[in-house]
Amino acid sequence: MKISVRDAGEAKIVEVEGDVDLGTSPDLRRTLFDALHRSPKLALNLGAIRYIDSSGIATLIEVLKDSQRLGKEFVLFGLSPAVQHVFRLTHVIRIFQVFNTEQEALGTVA
Amino acid sequence: MPPGAAELKFILPSDSRFLPVVRGAIGPLAEVVGWDESECTEIKLALDEALANVIRHAYHNRLDGRIELICRASAEGLEFTLLDNGDAPDKSKICAREIGCDKPGGLGSHIIKDVMDTVCYEVSATGNRFVATKLLRRTI
Repeated sequence: MKISVRDAGEAKIVEVEGDVDLGTSPDLRRTLFDALHRSPKLALNLGAIRYIDSSGIATLIEVLKDSQRLGKEFVLFGLSPAVQHVFRLTHVIRIFQVFNTEQEALGTVA
Repeated sequence: MPPGAAELKFILPSDSRFLPVVRGAIGPLAEVVGWDESECTEIKLALDEALANVIRHAYHNRLDGRIELICRASAEGLEFTLLDNGDAPDKSKICAREIGCDKPGGLGSHIIKDVMDTVCYEVSATGNRFVATKLLRRTI
Protein backbone atom coordinates (compact mmCIF):
# COMPACT_ATOMS: atom_id res chain seq x y z
CA MET A 1 0.00 0.00 0.00
CA LYS A 2 1.26 3.48 -0.87
CA ILE A 3 -0.03 6.64 0.82
CA SER A 4 0.69 10.24 -0.03
CA VAL A 5 -0.57 13.50 1.40
CA ARG A 6 -0.73 16.88 -0.32
CA ASP A 7 -2.25 20.28 0.36
CA ALA A 8 -5.10 21.80 -1.63
CA GLY A 9 -5.78 25.19 -0.10
CA GLU A 10 -6.87 24.63 3.48
CA ALA A 11 -7.65 21.00 2.75
CA LYS A 12 -5.41 17.97 2.81
CA ILE A 13 -5.78 15.31 0.14
CA VAL A 14 -4.75 11.77 1.00
CA GLU A 15 -4.14 9.34 -1.86
CA VAL A 16 -4.04 5.58 -1.23
CA GLU A 17 -2.91 2.93 -3.67
CA GLY A 18 -2.91 -0.86 -3.36
CA ASP A 19 -4.34 -3.18 -0.72
CA VAL A 20 -5.81 -2.02 2.60
CA ASP A 21 -6.05 -4.95 4.99
CA LEU A 22 -5.34 -5.91 8.59
CA GLY A 23 -1.62 -5.45 8.01
CA THR A 24 -1.72 -2.10 6.22
CA SER A 25 -4.76 -0.33 7.70
CA PRO A 26 -2.82 0.87 10.81
CA ASP A 27 -0.55 2.93 8.49
CA LEU A 28 -3.59 4.40 6.76
CA ARG A 29 -5.15 5.15 10.15
CA ARG A 30 -2.03 6.99 11.38
CA THR A 31 -1.79 9.04 8.18
CA LEU A 32 -5.47 10.00 8.19
CA PHE A 33 -5.53 10.99 11.86
CA ASP A 34 -2.35 13.00 11.44
CA ALA A 35 -3.72 14.81 8.37
CA LEU A 36 -7.07 15.41 10.05
CA HIS A 37 -5.44 17.03 13.05
CA ARG A 38 -3.36 19.31 10.81
CA SER A 39 -6.20 20.58 8.65
CA PRO A 40 -9.87 21.54 8.94
CA LYS A 41 -10.66 19.58 5.76
CA LEU A 42 -9.60 16.11 4.72
CA ALA A 43 -10.45 14.43 1.42
CA LEU A 44 -9.49 10.81 0.75
CA ASN A 45 -8.97 9.54 -2.78
CA LEU A 46 -10.01 5.86 -2.92
CA GLY A 47 -9.64 5.48 -6.68
CA ALA A 48 -6.45 3.40 -6.68
CA ILE A 49 -7.41 0.89 -4.01
CA ARG A 50 -7.38 -2.67 -5.36
CA TYR A 51 -8.59 -4.31 -2.17
CA ILE A 52 -10.05 -3.17 1.14
CA ASP A 53 -11.28 -5.28 4.05
CA SER A 54 -13.36 -4.49 7.12
CA SER A 55 -10.35 -3.12 9.01
CA GLY A 56 -9.96 -0.51 6.26
CA ILE A 57 -13.65 0.39 6.40
CA ALA A 58 -13.45 0.54 10.21
CA THR A 59 -10.52 2.96 9.88
CA LEU A 60 -12.61 5.26 7.68
CA ILE A 61 -15.46 5.16 10.21
CA GLU A 62 -13.06 6.00 13.06
CA VAL A 63 -11.68 8.99 11.17
CA LEU A 64 -15.18 10.15 10.26
CA LYS A 65 -16.30 10.04 13.88
CA ASP A 66 -13.18 11.89 15.02
CA SER A 67 -13.75 14.54 12.35
CA GLN A 68 -17.30 15.04 13.63
CA ARG A 69 -16.05 15.27 17.21
CA LEU A 70 -13.51 17.92 16.17
CA GLY A 71 -15.95 19.86 13.98
CA LYS A 72 -13.91 19.10 10.85
CA GLU A 73 -14.85 17.62 7.50
CA PHE A 74 -13.85 14.22 6.11
CA VAL A 75 -15.02 13.29 2.64
CA LEU A 76 -14.31 10.45 0.21
CA PHE A 77 -13.99 10.60 -3.56
CA GLY A 78 -13.22 8.49 -6.62
CA LEU A 79 -14.25 5.17 -5.08
CA SER A 80 -12.71 2.25 -7.00
CA PRO A 81 -14.97 -0.72 -7.86
CA ALA A 82 -13.28 -2.72 -5.07
CA VAL A 83 -14.16 -0.07 -2.49
CA GLN A 84 -17.72 0.32 -3.79
CA HIS A 85 -18.17 -3.44 -3.54
CA VAL A 86 -17.14 -3.60 0.12
CA PHE A 87 -19.18 -0.51 0.98
CA ARG A 88 -22.23 -2.26 -0.49
CA LEU A 89 -21.51 -5.41 1.52
CA THR A 90 -21.08 -3.51 4.78
CA HIS A 91 -23.99 -1.07 4.28
CA VAL A 92 -22.02 1.88 5.65
CA ILE A 93 -21.71 4.13 2.60
CA ARG A 94 -24.66 6.27 3.74
CA ILE A 95 -22.70 7.60 6.72
CA PHE A 96 -20.01 9.15 4.48
CA GLN A 97 -20.01 12.11 2.13
CA VAL A 98 -18.93 10.56 -1.18
CA PHE A 99 -18.03 12.37 -4.41
CA ASN A 100 -16.94 11.32 -7.85
CA THR A 101 -14.03 13.72 -8.27
CA GLU A 102 -11.53 15.68 -6.23
CA GLN A 103 -13.03 18.94 -7.48
CA GLU A 104 -16.46 17.94 -6.25
CA ALA A 105 -15.04 16.78 -2.93
CA LEU A 106 -13.17 20.03 -2.40
CA GLY A 107 -16.18 22.05 -3.46
CA THR A 108 -18.06 20.68 -0.53
CA VAL A 109 -15.39 21.64 1.94
CA ALA A 110 -14.47 25.09 0.57
CA MET B 1 -9.93 -37.38 -7.01
CA PRO B 2 -13.04 -36.41 -9.01
CA PRO B 3 -12.56 -34.05 -11.97
CA GLY B 4 -12.63 -30.43 -10.84
CA ALA B 5 -11.96 -31.34 -7.22
CA ALA B 6 -8.96 -29.91 -5.42
CA GLU B 7 -7.65 -29.47 -1.91
CA LEU B 8 -5.32 -26.65 -0.97
CA LYS B 9 -3.72 -26.54 2.44
CA PHE B 10 -1.87 -23.62 4.05
CA ILE B 11 0.01 -23.62 7.33
CA LEU B 12 0.49 -19.99 8.27
CA PRO B 13 1.75 -17.94 11.18
CA SER B 14 -0.68 -15.41 12.65
CA ASP B 15 1.08 -12.68 10.72
CA SER B 16 -1.02 -10.34 8.58
CA ARG B 17 1.75 -10.14 5.97
CA PHE B 18 0.61 -13.58 4.80
CA LEU B 19 -2.96 -12.46 4.11
CA PRO B 20 -2.18 -11.28 0.55
CA VAL B 21 -0.57 -14.67 -0.14
CA VAL B 22 -3.82 -16.46 0.69
CA ARG B 23 -5.91 -13.91 -1.18
CA GLY B 24 -3.70 -14.46 -4.20
CA ALA B 25 -4.66 -18.14 -4.23
CA ILE B 26 -8.33 -18.01 -3.25
CA GLY B 27 -9.57 -15.67 -5.95
CA PRO B 28 -8.26 -17.87 -8.78
CA LEU B 29 -9.48 -21.02 -6.98
CA ALA B 30 -13.03 -19.62 -6.82
CA GLU B 31 -12.76 -18.69 -10.49
CA VAL B 32 -11.83 -22.28 -11.40
CA VAL B 33 -14.87 -23.57 -9.49
CA GLY B 34 -17.08 -21.30 -11.58
CA TRP B 35 -17.85 -18.00 -9.88
CA ASP B 36 -17.67 -14.67 -11.70
CA GLU B 37 -15.21 -11.92 -10.81
CA SER B 38 -17.55 -10.17 -8.39
CA GLU B 39 -18.35 -13.38 -6.51
CA CYS B 40 -14.66 -14.37 -6.43
CA THR B 41 -13.89 -11.00 -4.82
CA GLU B 42 -16.54 -11.60 -2.16
CA ILE B 43 -15.32 -15.14 -1.39
CA LYS B 44 -11.73 -13.89 -1.12
CA LEU B 45 -12.88 -11.10 1.21
CA ALA B 46 -14.92 -13.43 3.43
CA LEU B 47 -12.01 -15.82 3.91
CA ASP B 48 -9.64 -12.91 4.52
CA GLU B 49 -12.00 -11.65 7.23
CA ALA B 50 -12.06 -15.08 8.87
CA LEU B 51 -8.26 -15.22 8.88
CA ALA B 52 -8.03 -11.66 10.22
CA ASN B 53 -10.41 -12.59 13.04
CA VAL B 54 -8.10 -15.44 14.05
CA ILE B 55 -5.07 -13.12 14.02
CA ARG B 56 -6.83 -10.38 16.00
CA HIS B 57 -9.10 -12.24 18.39
CA ALA B 58 -7.59 -15.72 18.82
CA TYR B 59 -3.93 -14.68 18.82
CA HIS B 60 -4.32 -10.95 19.76
CA ASN B 61 -1.94 -9.90 16.94
CA ARG B 62 0.86 -12.18 18.13
CA LEU B 63 2.92 -13.24 15.14
CA ASP B 64 3.76 -16.78 16.21
CA GLY B 65 0.34 -18.44 16.34
CA ARG B 66 -0.36 -21.41 14.08
CA ILE B 67 -3.19 -21.25 11.56
CA GLU B 68 -4.13 -24.15 9.35
CA LEU B 69 -6.34 -23.44 6.35
CA ILE B 70 -7.83 -26.20 4.22
CA CYS B 71 -9.70 -25.25 1.04
CA ARG B 72 -11.73 -27.99 -0.60
CA ALA B 73 -13.05 -27.31 -4.07
CA SER B 74 -15.58 -29.48 -5.86
CA ALA B 75 -18.20 -29.20 -8.59
CA GLU B 76 -20.66 -28.15 -5.87
CA GLY B 77 -18.59 -25.31 -4.48
CA LEU B 78 -15.97 -24.49 -1.86
CA GLU B 79 -15.46 -25.42 1.76
CA PHE B 80 -12.97 -23.58 3.97
CA THR B 81 -11.75 -24.95 7.29
CA LEU B 82 -9.62 -22.82 9.62
CA LEU B 83 -7.93 -24.34 12.67
CA ASP B 84 -6.10 -22.41 15.36
CA ASN B 85 -4.92 -22.84 18.94
CA GLY B 86 -5.64 -19.36 20.19
CA ASP B 87 -8.37 -18.02 22.45
CA ALA B 88 -11.88 -19.24 21.70
CA PRO B 89 -14.15 -16.84 19.79
CA ASP B 90 -16.68 -14.91 21.84
CA LYS B 91 -19.87 -16.06 20.12
CA SER B 92 -21.87 -13.23 21.69
CA LYS B 93 -19.85 -10.77 19.56
CA ILE B 94 -20.29 -12.58 16.25
CA CYS B 95 -22.66 -10.54 14.04
CA ALA B 96 -23.65 -8.51 17.12
CA ARG B 97 -23.14 -5.22 15.28
CA GLU B 98 -26.25 -3.52 13.97
CA ILE B 99 -26.14 -3.43 10.15
CA GLY B 100 -25.57 0.04 8.69
CA CYS B 101 -24.64 1.67 12.00
CA ASP B 102 -21.60 3.94 12.42
CA LYS B 103 -19.64 1.72 14.81
CA PRO B 104 -16.23 0.77 13.39
CA GLY B 105 -15.99 -2.78 14.76
CA GLY B 106 -17.76 -6.03 13.98
CA LEU B 107 -18.03 -5.69 10.21
CA GLY B 108 -16.02 -8.80 9.40
CA SER B 109 -18.40 -11.42 10.80
CA HIS B 110 -21.29 -9.82 8.88
CA ILE B 111 -19.32 -10.02 5.65
CA ILE B 112 -18.56 -13.70 6.28
CA LYS B 113 -22.21 -14.49 7.05
CA ASP B 114 -23.52 -12.56 4.04
CA VAL B 115 -21.10 -14.07 1.54
CA MET B 116 -20.96 -17.70 2.67
CA ASP B 117 -23.87 -20.15 2.65
CA THR B 118 -23.00 -21.87 5.93
CA VAL B 119 -20.70 -20.76 8.72
CA CYS B 120 -19.82 -22.74 11.82
CA TYR B 121 -17.59 -21.88 14.78
CA GLU B 122 -16.55 -24.80 17.00
CA VAL B 123 -14.36 -24.90 20.08
CA SER B 124 -12.75 -28.08 21.38
CA ALA B 125 -9.89 -29.16 23.59
CA THR B 126 -7.66 -29.28 20.51
CA GLY B 127 -8.42 -25.72 19.42
CA ASN B 128 -10.83 -23.61 17.42
CA ARG B 129 -12.39 -24.73 14.18
CA PHE B 130 -14.15 -22.48 11.69
CA VAL B 131 -15.91 -24.05 8.71
CA ALA B 132 -17.61 -22.09 5.94
CA THR B 133 -19.10 -23.30 2.69
CA LYS B 134 -20.12 -21.57 -0.49
CA LEU B 135 -22.27 -23.47 -2.96
CA LEU B 136 -22.15 -22.89 -6.68
CA ARG B 137 -25.61 -22.16 -8.02
CA ARG B 138 -25.63 -23.05 -11.67
CA THR B 139 -28.10 -21.38 -14.02
CA ILE B 140 -29.55 -23.61 -16.74
